Amino acid sequence: MKTTKIYEGSHQWIMFGRDEGKPNNVIDTNQYVVRTANRCLLLDPGGAELFAPMMAAVLHHAPVDQITDLFASHQDPDVISSLGLWDQALTNAKLHAPAIWEGFLRHYSCESIEYVAIPDNGGTIKLESVELQIIPAHYLHSSGNFHIYDPQAKILMSGDVGGAIEGPDAPVFVENFAAHVEKMRYWHQRWMPSNQAKRVWIERVRNLDIDILAPQHGRMFKGDDVKRFLDWFDALQVGIAV
Amino acid sequence: MTNQTKSQFIAVASITSELSAVMVVAKEISLAAANAKAIAFRAGDKAKGFQPITDFINELAKETIELVTNINIYALVLYRLTVDEYQKTVAYNKFELAAKMAEDAPYAKSMQEPVDHARLSMQDCQRQFKRDVSQLLGQLEAVMHHARAARVIAANSRIEASQAGEYLQSLQAVAESVDKAAHTIHDNVQRCRIALSIYRNS
Ligand SMILES: [Fe+2]
Ligand SMILES: [Fe+2]
Repeated sequence: MKTTKIYEGSHQWIMFGRDEGKPNNVIDTNQYVVRTANRCLLLDPGGAELFAPMMAAVLHHAPVDQITDLFASHQDPDVISSLGLWDQALTNAKLHAPAIWEGFLRHYSCESIEYVAIPDNGGTIKLESVELQIIPAHYLHSSGNFHIYDPQAKILMSGDVGGAIEGPDAPVFVENFAAHVEKMRYWHQRWMPSNQAKRVWIERVRNLDIDILAPQHGRMFKGDDVKRFLDWFDALQVGIAV
Repeated sequence: MTNQTKSQFIAVASITSELSAVMVVAKEISLAAANAKAIAFRAGDKAKGFQPITDFINELAKETIELVTNINIYALVLYRLTVDEYQKTVAYNKFELAAKMAEDAPYAKSMQEPVDHARLSMQDCQRQFKRDVSQLLGQLEAVMHHARAARVIAANSRIEASQAGEYLQSLQAVAESVDKAAHTIHDNVQRCRIALSIYRNS
């Protein structure tokens, strides 16, 4: 598992991805960890087959008992089908996930982990002195969907928005936006269902000060590429399968 | 899924299917008993010896049905336990793998507790499964016992039937069907026992 530190301040953001042991037939995902002095939050911790490499990677940064929080942007298996395993490994943890998916996500088994249901209008996750904002992103692509914004690190973890399918050796940041567009077009047109939802989300996100846009698949966007992405996404027609 | 887990799932599933067949046959016996009672009633004195036998067959069929109903509940518990054990085994293996992959990580040691805990709860499941299998085998033994008794009764019925004059044939048919049914029950239950016996508490 490739590890990249993307923010280092009073706390840290670490990106995990490009797992070389991943079976070829499952989609590659990026996992993010927010690390404070004594706690650790895993954002979209990944599929069941990713559990062991992900746990091993986290152990380079935190002991098991300091993994206190998980966040699932939505209910997809590539996001959170590892839940049943985290549930058996962690004794004192919370899962922050969309309220409307609670009954569904519990199929993965969530007994020792406390399910913190996020209402439709979002909220915050407090990790010691760090306060993260939960930004609604419904219908992008899931009907109950959230992103995480860290105003201090200026990072927006954007779930499937900004995603692309990449090879195992792809760099973790977009280097040439124009060239990257082709890898994202079908992804957004086919998986994102609603132009209206897209418009509302872009409006909301344009008000945030973002250095890094960090999607769950493909590459992260930094600096001017964040604005380029928002402009490109704004102009794109989505929901093409009907 | 390992072969051992697979065969455990199959063994537990086979109990339910074998037992549903036993249930059908036990109901047949109960029907045969009612039938025999009617014939014996009509035969009057000629089938005097047959009447208590029909009651006995009926009783036996009822008890078998009751036993099998109980065993089915047990089999469901055993199925849940198998699922549980499977999940715990998967977790244990993944935890061990994570610990191995994290060998050089500064916090690798913190994985020891989840690994130990997962191993213990997996072993708990295995022990519980063995205990429950032993109990189930005991209950299956009771059904076999009933089936054997039914065969003895069927043999007696044949003798009684031979004194029943013109009712001989119909009463003999009753004895025949009880015997056949008991035989089927015996075989099915035997198969269940063989499938389960490897998991018994030694
Ligand atoms: Fe998704
Ligand atoms: Fe995804």
